[in-house]
Amino acid sequence: MLDLAIFGQHLLNGVLIGCAYALIAIGLTMIFGVMNIANFAHGEFYMMGGFAAFYLVTLLKLNYFIALPLAVVLVVVLAVAIQQIVFKRLRDAPVMTTTLVTIGLSILLEHVALLLWGPQPQVIPNPFPTRPLSFFGIYTTPLYLFSMAVTAALIVVGHLLIQRTRMGKAMRATFQNREAAALVGVRIDRVYLYAFTFGAALAAAAGAVLGGFIPVEPTMGGVATLKAFVVVILGGMGSFVGAIAGGLLLGLAEALGAGYFSTGWKDAIGFFAVILLLLFRPEGLFKRA
Amino acid sequence: MQSRLSVAVIALAVAASAAAQETVKIGVVQPLTGPVAYDGNIYVNTVKMLVDDMNAKGGVLGKKIELVVEDGACNPAQSVNAAEKLVTRDKVVALLGAFCSTSSAAMMEVARKHKVPHLTAISTAAQLTEQNNPYFFRAVATTPMLGAAFGGELPAAVKGKRFAFLVINDDWGRSMVSSYPKPIEHAGGQIVGTEFFQSSDLQFLPYITKIKAANPDAIILAANTQHAVALSKQIRELGITKPLIGEGSWTSDSYLKLAGPAAEGVYGLVEYVYTIKNPINAAFVKMSREKLKDNPSKFAGAAHNAIHIMVDAIRRAGAADPEKIRAALTKTDYHGLVGNIRFNEKNQAYGQDVYLARVTHGVPEVVKTAKIAKP
Repeated sequence: MLDLAIFGQHLLNGVLIGCAYALIAIGLTMIFGVMNIANFAHGEFYMMGGFAAFYLVTLLKLNYFIALPLAVVLVVVLAVAIQQIVFKRLRDAPVMTTTLVTIGLSILLEHVALLLWGPQPQVIPNPFPTRPLSFFGIYTTPLYLFSMAVTAALIVVGHLLIQRTRMGKAMRATFQNREAAALVGVRIDRVYLYAFTFGAALAAAAGAVLGGFIPVEPTMGGVATLKAFVVVILGGMGSFVGAIAGGLLLGLAEALGAGYFSTGWKDAIGFFAVILLLLFRPEGLFKRA
Repeated sequence: MQSRLSVAVIALAVAASAAAQETVKIGVVQPLTGPVAYDGNIYVNTVKMLVDDMNAKGGVLGKKIELVVEDGACNPAQSVNAAEKLVTRDKVVALLGAFCSTSSAAMMEVARKHKVPHLTAISTAAQLTEQNNPYFFRAVATTPMLGAAFGGELPAAVKGKRFAFLVINDDWGRSMVSSYPKPIEHAGGQIVGTEFFQSSDLQFLPYITKIKAANPDAIILAANTQHAVALSKQIRELGITKPLIGEGSWTSDSYLKLAGPAAEGVYGLVEYVYTIKNPINAAFVKMSREKLKDNPSKFAGAAHNAIHIMVDAIRRAGAADPEKIRAALTKTDYHGLVGNIRFNEKNQAYGQDVYLARVTHGVPEVVKTAKIAKP
């Protein structure tokens, strides 16, 4: 018997987690599409966004709603430094080199976090009431609704930035053909810098917003990176719309698969989908942007 | 003059070598780095505090106790290296430790090879005491033993019949799911759902929704701090108000602080909780608050048991000799922090109390005490 309230709960869980997957994956797919870097350190930006928000709220006693954007700014500063110091030099390096560098960077950032902040998980204190809200037997909390709204808003903002602004146009041009874009006067270094920091900013925002109910700890980046890669491959490497659709799809597939099939297979579902997709439709569900 | 000087030198040398032998060396291997470093450090700091106290009261066999601590990082290879170094270079007469069961399993082979007694008070994997290793002792109840002691009490304690499991997918979670149902069903309860989560999971909404669909009267969990915090918050956020019963860190200060209001009413099935009432615990809590600025956690309790049982054995052995200490350990009849502890023929502890504690206004209060039966 299908219990409608439980089904609705699974759907809502799926959308909530799907939005988070999408937000993290957008950055990854942009960095890949524009810069041709498979960034295995992407999840670490997500982790650092969470820690930055946590310490801004607890140590500096900042207002929660000020701490969130400020945490993103802090991570952006770090991302700019990493781009200027590391990836700028590797602009013409083969993909294998940059991939190895991102893996090294991921290990470095994770262990620096472990040294600085210790292994204990932290939950970002937030002003929302903890009492759950219920609609027709489907439960949620103000914090869940807030994070869903923020992730959705950021996805829309990201989409507009890419489609409607000059820099977005330059990014799309670079994505299509780097040499041709350079020839018509697009400043490639700047496009790279924007793509990298924009991607890092979205991941950091996800960490800061989700840190209210998913504990923040130094090793959380690894799983996030893996899930984001699943989403990016599902949606098509480099596709913005694909990352959004892929994120929601993975979130829903995990929630419903766990709910009506088996929770033991929850993490396998996404990877099975990726294997099938690579076999039968290697360009991803959505064509490249 | 010459001869008087040489006599003085010889006397000095003799005194120095005597002083060097004036300590009884105990080796400790615990994770000081890695994923469980936080709890490993609690154990080590507690043992150090207790040994300082023992030394201030005269030590053991008229000598001072000297601790030699090595980092095992919850890694079997590193724990073996640490134990080898402690035994061969530092010449310790006894080994305490390893946190994770895999590390203890590796370390106990070093103990067997060098014939040095080895005691763990944390590792609970059942097979550790099934290795016929006469040098390995365990001063903590395993999950099946806790299940046998408490499973039958649960229906009455939470006034419910329908139980669901939501446990970590490893040895611990799986042995919980295999050992608790029998006593629960015997006491009139039934199991309506079983879900395993991965250690990499931090969002549990699909599992919780599935458990919710089974409509249990109480949820039994196995989780340490990081998972326990996320689980208790998310369970409450999905509108489940039924009691939670957890093995693991459900009564520790770090959990209570992080989970906040979501921890209220949670039941913990624990080997030690700082609110138990006996004079030994009162002194221990007082000392911990003064020296370590914290209420002792269950790992601090484990440290208390381990060092006292080992020093008690050394005292009864009458010599700092590993073989005599091992023999003395088998005859342990220790009355301490959590009651009486003895070892069975497999060197597994029994007879001690275990506790069902309920978090009330942020403080874990003991609601039921059970004794671990001889396995």
